[in-house]
Amino acid sequence: MFKMLRYLRPYWKGALILVVSIGIQAWGTLRLPTLMSQIVNDGIAANNGTGDMSFIILTGLKMVAWAGISALGALSSAYFSAKIGSAIGRDIREDLFKKILSFSISEIDDFSTASLITRTTNDISTVQNTLIMMLSMMLRVPMMAVGAIVEAVILAPDMTWILALSVGILVGLIIVILAAVMPKFMLYQKLIDRINLLTRENLTGLRVIRAFNNEKYEAEKFDKTNKKVMKTDFFIGAVMGLESPLMMLIFNGTSLLCIYIGISHLEFDASYLGKMMAFMQYAIQVILSFFFLAIIFVMIPRASVSAKRINEVLKVNPKIKWKEKSIKKPEEEPSVEFKNVDFKYAGADEEVLEKISFKAKAGETTAFIGSTGSGKSTLINLIPRFYDVTSGEVLVSGVNVKDYVMDDLMKKIGYVPQRGFLFSGTVKSNILFGADLTNEKEMEEVARIAQAEEFISRLDEKYESKIVEGGTNVSGGQRQRLSIARAIAKKPEIYIFDDAFSALDMKTDKKLREALKPVTKNAVVLIVAQRVSTVRLADQIVVLDEGKVVGKGKHGELLKSCKVYQEICQSQFSEEEYEREVRDARA
Amino acid sequence: MPGPRNVIQKPKNFEKTFKRFMKELGTYKVQIIVTVIFTAISVLLTLFGPMVLGMMTTSATSSIAAGKGILWDEIIGLVILLISLYVISGIISYVQELILTRISARFSNKMRSKILDKISRLPMSYFDHAKIGDVMSRMTNDVDTAVGNLAQTINEIVISVVTLVGITAMMLIISVPLSLVAIIAIPVSTIFVKRIAEKAQKHFKRQRTILGELNSRIEEDYTGQLIIKANSHEKKTLAEFKEANDRLYEASFKSQFFGTLPFPITHIFTHFAYIIICVLGGYFAIIGAITIGNVQAFIQYVNQFNRPITEVAQLSATIQQIMAAAERVFDFLDLEEMAEEEETEIRADEISGEVEFHDVNFSYNADKPVIRNFSAKISPGMKVAIVGPTGAGKTTIVNLLMRFYDPDSGYITIDGKPTREMSRANVRKLFGMVLQDTWLFSGTILNNLKYGAGKNIPEEEVKKAIKATGIDHFIESLPHGLNTVIDEDSDNISAGEKQLLTIARAMVANPPMLILDEATSNVDTRTEQMIQDAFSRLTKGRTSFVIAHRLSTIRESDLILVMKDGNIVEQGKHEELLSMNGFYAELYNSQFSES
Repeated sequence: MFKMLRYLRPYWKGALILVVSIGIQAWGTLRLPTLMSQIVNDGIAANNGTGDMSFIILTGLKMVAWAGISALGALSSAYFSAKIGSAIGRDIREDLFKKILSFSISEIDDFSTASLITRTTNDISTVQNTLIMMLSMMLRVPMMAVGAIVEAVILAPDMTWILALSVGILVGLIIVILAAVMPKFMLYQKLIDRINLLTRENLTGLRVIRAFNNEKYEAEKFDKTNKKVMKTDFFIGAVMGLESPLMMLIFNGTSLLCIYIGISHLEFDASYLGKMMAFMQYAIQVILSFFFLAIIFVMIPRASVSAKRINEVLKVNPKIKWKEKSIKKPEEEPSVEFKNVDFKYAGADEEVLEKISFKAKAGETTAFIGSTGSGKSTLINLIPRFYDVTSGEVLVSGVNVKDYVMDDLMKKIGYVPQRGFLFSGTVKSNILFGADLTNEKEMEEVARIAQAEEFISRLDEKYESKIVEGGTNVSGGQRQRLSIARAIAKKPEIYIFDDAFSALDMKTDKKLREALKPVTKNAVVLIVAQRVSTVRLADQIVVLDEGKVVGKGKHGELLKSCKVYQEICQSQFSEEEYEREVRDARA
Repeated sequence: MPGPRNVIQKPKNFEKTFKRFMKELGTYKVQIIVTVIFTAISVLLTLFGPMVLGMMTTSATSSIAAGKGILWDEIIGLVILLISLYVISGIISYVQELILTRISARFSNKMRSKILDKISRLPMSYFDHAKIGDVMSRMTNDVDTAVGNLAQTINEIVISVVTLVGITAMMLIISVPLSLVAIIAIPVSTIFVKRIAEKAQKHFKRQRTILGELNSRIEEDYTGQLIIKANSHEKKTLAEFKEANDRLYEASFKSQFFGTLPFPITHIFTHFAYIIICVLGGYFAIIGAITIGNVQAFIQYVNQFNRPITEVAQLSATIQQIMAAAERVFDFLDLEEMAEEEETEIRADEISGEVEFHDVNFSYNADKPVIRNFSAKISPGMKVAIVGPTGAGKTTIVNLLMRFYDPDSGYITIDGKPTREMSRANVRKLFGMVLQDTWLFSGTILNNLKYGAGKNIPEEEVKKAIKATGIDHFIESLPHGLNTVIDEDSDNISAGEKQLLTIARAMVANPPMLILDEATSNVDTRTEQMIQDAFSRLTKGRTSFVIAHRLSTIRESDLILVMKDGNIVEQGKHEELLSMNGFYAELYNSQFSES
């Protein structure tokens, strides 16, 4: 948590003012009881009990002055703690966002997207709130405590032991209570997580639970955890419930002691009348301060967990570094070439891709097929440099992808991921996401090619129709078509379809591939697919098995020569269809 | 802690929610009244403290002034009185805390159980629109807020009110004119605080809205990070983020500032009240209108006066919050449940498996009919394939068969008996279901497999099913075999293995009829083969409905239902449908014609 204080640096001036304001506030407040004791001793009890009214009024005016100063300090500290705390929150959030935006897949996978999101949202909120509290409370509380102790000691040194005694008891008490309750707190959190998990399961698995008539079984399972929550809840409450009565006892006991000891001094020193009254107020101030400190110490570990999770992300140094300036000019005609590419994930022993070589030329379609885990998607992710090769080279238009400036490379590529992903906005803003503004006609043409025109025209506001977060207001197939349109709108030289057609039904799949032909006339088209029907017309099919190229060629050739390809076809065609295919291939 | 959480969420109907809350509290009401009385007593007892302390001071000063020295008997008497007051008050207060804690632990337990029970009683249609996160937050956050804070709040209300009234009484007893000073200062400061609090609320609300927007932007940008990169959109994304982040900073600063402002303000007012009392008290002491001990007591009372007032000011916000949370819980509990059921039982082992649709009409929304006048007769043991493009409404048939939904008109019969005259549980017992989303619950594989058949099914049955689906090798390779624990997201097993497990689960349940979804797009060829084999073993001799994706399945079926845009447009056998040269033929040819 304290590491986060480095973000204070740009705001050091404000922080300084904050410290001074809090100091002034504390000082002003703490002057009051001493002045009051003067009113009692030198005002009321002056002149043998006849009193000195003008002294009382004068002291009263002094008190007003101190109270005013303290008020100014309080206002100024409220202002600066809010200002600095919010600014630091903003800065951390921005740093984190920038950092995560620069991550490549492997870094994102290390954390998981969900975890990165919580880190940027909840964790930062927690840290920000704690920082603001630290800025005001953490400074004020110790100042008040120290100030009150100093004033009290100056006032009546022989009563100081009362302070030591009550603070000692208080601190001991808090430690004992926390020690008893902390483990149960953690258990409680775990149980609540479990309640969450069970509820979630009941909601996501609703159909299955109902289909198998297992509502009762689920309720029993839930009940077990629910009972445990209740017991833990009660235990925590029972222990924490001790706190407030005991606190009151310490408070009142301290007051009693102050007065009792004060009275016993009165016989010999009349000034103890005012002193004991002021001392009692200081003592209460000190006890309160320690009590607040305890609360802060409970909160800091919680925020520390969040701070640690944020720092973990900030510390990461992205492995993929892009060139600032381009080194070599790419060839005019687009192409993609793999030369002896090996790839393995960081920390893994086994290679995902081994000795991959092929060349995809302009105007041709190259398809990749193979079972799950064969490395198709990984292979394709090497082209936009989502990962870096372990050895070998990936060349785009004759230049190694590592020698590109990021934007130059990305401009060449139209990438359609496995799952259509849309941003909130409109249909239009999604189609034009990567494109320099094309005119309306062109955009409609793009939608037509992506087989999205029909459903867009049925939407109420056509291209201006809203897309909600995650694109959940359009169907999966429609989402996929829009994300294909997004790639086409860029007019890229290289198209990458990462299993992008499987969310479409076969009919749409086929229509789309036909419509794509004219636009991709001079482009490199790379398709990853599961269905043979999607790849059979490709100019080149690369068959992958366990990270190796086991076949390369056209559909007919592979049917004759490649065993893995034959197996794939057999599993997707009926026997007679397969026979027919093989016959055709031979003919 | 100040933060977005401070936004007041108001219940839509306070009075109704409050009444409902009281009703739900039921038997706890008496206990709550007891705790209220206990709290009041314990607070009142401590309120005598400053006055007795003052009496000690007065006794000492006056006896010293009279030259008699300190009368220790009198002082000790007062000390003993005080100690007994404090201790008794402490004990009562702890007993009260215990009762309250017990109530709140039990009550939240009850509410959570009720919510889970409700989930199982709601019609499927509710969950088409409901967000999972929303239901979950009712289960945890709202129950916590409503019940957890309730105990604390009742306590605080009582303490604040009793303290306020008690202190006012004590001050009036000591000195009427001094009391007036304190009593006038308070409402003035309350008005100030209230106005600032209102302003702060406005800013908190704004902050919360902006934070919500920013958070969903972050979520979206992280999920689509690859797309942002691939489209060179980073600069624009970052600029948009910065703009939103700056707006959040503004809002956060203002809400924090106005949120903390009430504290210094009340302090200022109490400081000034304190000063005036010191001065006036001094004057009254000099003219002999008040004893010195009472001045001391009065100052103590004034210092304590401040706390209940700031607390009461905040309480109204907390109460609103509690009621808003309670309302969300109650709203959920009051949702309309599924219709009551007829209880005639058809036993699974007595059924032949004949299913008939009689003029079935159905719609999810009243204005958009999904199935129109559908009739079909499926003889025992028939294999029915449901085909159609994505989004044609194939799962609707499943929903109707399983009675997840009921037809708007018309009916479905099993062995001649209308399903709506059977209990839902009964209907579902007759079908085994293997769906595309392969839901497994957190627990061991063994328990997952026994899920449909009940705990008492012998392990041999499970083992047989495992063999039949061909996952015996996979399970043996797991660290704990059948007792390996998997969870909802089960990253340790692949999609194909999950599907095989759900097939095995259906096999263990051994139902007379089946509903299957063939979609297996993300599975490798070998697993695909295994799944197909397992499917055909499972369907043997059972009436089955298959949402079909494979041509082989489609061609071997006894009846094909062709769906388009939510309607059944054609039905018949493969050859018949092909010769009709309609939508089915188009669908079929588009897949395999050369072009």
